[in-house]
This record gives sequence, structure tokens and C-alpha cells, in this order.
Amino acid sequence: MPRLPAPPRVGPFREGAFRSPLHEPRTAVVLGRWLGAALLTCFLTGLCSHLLQDPPSWLAGRLPSRPVHGYQVTQGLHVISGIAAIPLVGAKLWTVYPRLFEWPPVRGVLHALERLGIAVLVAATLLELFTGLLNTLQWYPWPFPFRQTHFWLGWLATGGLLVHVAVKAPLIVRHWWRVAPGLAQRRAFLGAVASAVGVVTLTTAGQSVPWLRPLDLLAPRRPDLGPQHLPVNRTAEQAGTGTVPPGWQLLVDGPRPYRLTLDQLRELPQHEVELPIACVEGWSATARWSGVRVSDLLARAGAPPGAAVRVTSLEADGPYRVMEMPAPYAADPLTLLALRVNGEVLDADHGFPARIIAPNRPGVLQTKWVARLEVL
Amino acid sequence: MARLLRAALLVAGLGVLGYGGYGFLTDPYITDPVSVLVWAGGALVVHDGWWLPLVCLVGACAVRGPVLRWWLIVAAAVTAVGLPAVLRAGMPRVNRTVLPLPYLRNLVLVLAATAGLALIVALARRWRGARGGVSRRAGPQTPSSGRPARGRKGSRE
Repeated sequence: MPRLPAPPRVGPFREGAFRSPLHEPRTAVVLGRWLGAALLTCFLTGLCSHLLQDPPSWLAGRLPSRPVHGYQVTQGLHVISGIAAIPLVGAKLWTVYPRLFEWPPVRGVLHALERLGIAVLVAATLLELFTGLLNTLQWYPWPFPFRQTHFWLGWLATGGLLVHVAVKAPLIVRHWWRVAPGLAQRRAFLGAVASAVGVVTLTTAGQSVPWLRPLDLLAPRRPDLGPQHLPVNRTAEQAGTGTVPPGWQLLVDGPRPYRLTLDQLRELPQHEVELPIACVEGWSATARWSGVRVSDLLARAGAPPGAAVRVTSLEADGPYRVMEMPAPYAADPLTLLALRVNGEVLDADHGFPARIIAPNRPGVLQTKWVARLEVL
Repeated sequence: MARLLRAALLVAGLGVLGYGGYGFLTDPYITDPVSVLVWAGGALVVHDGWWLPLVCLVGACAVRGPVLRWWLIVAAAVTAVGLPAVLRAGMPRVNRTVLPLPYLRNLVLVLAATAGLALIVALARRWRGARGGVSRRAGPQTPSSGRPARGRKGSRE
């Protein structure tokens, strides 16, 4: 092996450049446990969202419409754990920061691979948290598509995390229960990090946790602010559906197709359900929806039991103009073609003349401005 | 057993990494993977090359005592989470239900409230220190002020 040059004696490479005793493994292990829990929660709940929103064909017919609050809870948790991870990742990286300047920088192939793996883990995690946070504000300054990039980076970050834990396993085990010296200072530091997590959680989680609403100071949404006291993800103006075409009729396509005017829809048996509408951006709000059961409409069109349905919106374009609803949702008695919300006729921004509301489904699939139902 | 677990974890991690990498490179919507790499590299450079040195510098030069450090950590977290909303809320937008709150005011409010709390704690510590300081300091050497009194050993490895 060639002789390595002597370590540079400047800046962070200088002996004793990092004076805090907290740059040590026990602190890193404690923070790593918290951060790992947050990131894994974030990954699994994100996976939930992708499976419900974009299921592979073998899974589509088996997606459950219960629990009713499933999507609301998992997506609330997704954003809460993601935001909690922001101070945690900062503290964890600060703790191990001196390791970035270890000398020699590379001790062999395995060591190089390990350091490369950490670079992937850190870069993917930082970008994941950054894009996730900005997505909750509907702000996209980057040139790549958010959803797909966020999804694949999530796999890369999680894979990097598992490899990192495997590589560091002996060190982690050694320091898992160890009470090392410098305890008082570590306690103060961990207490500060825990406080930071607490403050960012308390001031943002109100967008999905109703009893935290009074503290909702920094979240991009407030579940009660919007037309008819509900937030909107895509306005009628954005979708170009501010005015409904005169003579609007719902077309229900199937073995026995038929059309209904809005008045005829209102004369059908109406049902009222209390369901949350929840978005992957983390906000959710519960409302009383009333309208006609989708299963009744499909049965009248001669749909066989277990039929799925394709819903088309009045929107001219948009990624969710056409939505497919698997059979378990279509058959659920809680799934409505809603005409009213909280006792009022739907606002244009909430999908007038009619919209879909179904339990345990992503908000983007609760199609607004419905024009057509088609038995599949 | 432990070795087996560790190996399984490593294989699982490499599998997940491989799946993510393959999906990332073959996704039809991600037409320019290089732009993602540029942003990921940028995040790394900004965080490790600018933000952390700044934190270390502030910590080494300006921070005296655990209460101020507590507040700076909380303030940094709140600012990281709240600043995008403050910046974005100023831009024109169609959907008024996104960012409907006065975020600059709210951020200042949270910073002020946590600073107030830190101030109260600092004053209480000073007051307690003034009253019981002598007898306390005569006791066993606990680094109650959070200074690195006995932390040398922990800093190795």
C-alpha cells in the first residue's frame, strides 16, 4: 500500500477542531433511534399512500374501504413524522459531522463503499424532507416531477438507512444501553432536540389532528378555512369548471345506461355520511356529505356484483380527470355521489354539481365535477 | 444469530437500494435523472458545506450555557419548518386555502414564545444559583451548567 500523506492540519482536519463531547456514539445512537423511527414511519405511510392512489392491478380489487379514517391517519402521520425528522436529521448529522473529516478519507474498498452509501443516504434524506415540506405548500421550484421522484428517493433513503444500520450494528449494539460520561450535557442536548421536535409538531400537526387546531400556526392548511369551512386542493378556476354546462346530466354507463338531471338526482333516496377528506399533503377535514349511493346508481345501470367503476370529471384535463374506483369502494354504502356538504349545496370549488366521496381514499381520487360513471 | 440478522439487514438494505435505484432510472416520468442528482448533491453541499459549519461556528463562538443553546436549537427547527411558508405566502396564488395564515407573524410569535420560556428558565436558574450556589457547588461535581466538565472520554471513538 502506498504511503498516505500526512493529515492536513487546517480547519476541520485540525486535531481538536470539534470540541463538544457530544460528537460521540451514544448521542448518535439515541438520535439515530428517534430519526430511524421517524423515517421508517414516513416511508411506510408514504407507501400506503402510493398503494391506495396507484395500486398495481393485482391489488386494486383488494384495497379495503375500511377503516374509514385509514388514509387520514396514515397521511397525517406521514407529514407529522416527516416534519419531526427535520430537526432530528439536523441533530444527528451535527453529532457525526466530525467523521466527515476523518483521515485517511478512504481506508479501502469497503470503507469507500460505506462512505458512498452514507452520501446516498444523507443526500436522499435531505432532498426527500425538502421536497416533501415544499409539496405541502404546493411549491415546486425543481425541474423534476415531485411524486415519482419523492417515491423512488424514499426507497433509496430507506435502503441506505438499512445498509447503514447493518454496517454500524456492532457500534449501535455497544451503545444502545450504555450510559456514557458527559450525561448531563447529553441530556440537555437531547432535551433541546426533543423540544424542537415537539414545537414543530405542535405548530403544524393541527392541519390533521383536530384537537391541535388552536396551535396550527405554521401548517400550510387550516382544516376549517375555505369555502363551506373546508380546504380545497384544486379550485374550480384552476380546473376550468367554474361554470357547469347548461343542461348538465349525469351519464351512468353500463349494461342499462341512463342519464339523470340534477333535479332527478335530488329526488333519488339521499344518504348522509360523515367522512374525512384527506390529502397526501397532510391536511384532512371531516364533513357531513349527503347524496346518492354510488352502489345504487351502479345497480340501476345493471352492474354485476363486484363491479368497479370509472369516474370522469368535467375537467378538460388534469391527471385525475378520470379515476377508477375498485369494487370494494364502489360497493361500500358510505361511498356517495355527494350533492351537498354540511347541509349546503356543493360550492363550485368542492365539485358542484356532484362529487365522489368514499372512505379510506386519497383526496385526489374523490373526483369533483362528476360527468360520468361507467361500470367496468 | 446476531451475524445472521446483520447479514439479512444488509441484504435487505441493498435490495431496497437496488429497487429504488432501478425504479428511479426507469421511471417514465423522471426524464432527467441528472437534475435530481444535481439537487441531491446540492442539498448535501449546502447542508454539510455551509449550514453545519455555520452551526459549529455559532456553537463555538457565541453560545454560553445550555438555555441559549436550547433556544437556538428550537429556533433553528421552527425556522426550517416555517420559513418556506413565510416565503411562499408572499407570492400570488389562485387557491386561497393554501397558506391562509399570517405566517411571518406566527413564526415571530413562536420564536418569541420559546425565547420567553428560555428567558424565564435562565432567570430561574440564575436565581437558584444565587441562593443555593455555595452549598451546591460544594457537593459532588455534577456539570449542572452543561459545560463539558467530564466529557472527554465520551468524545473519543
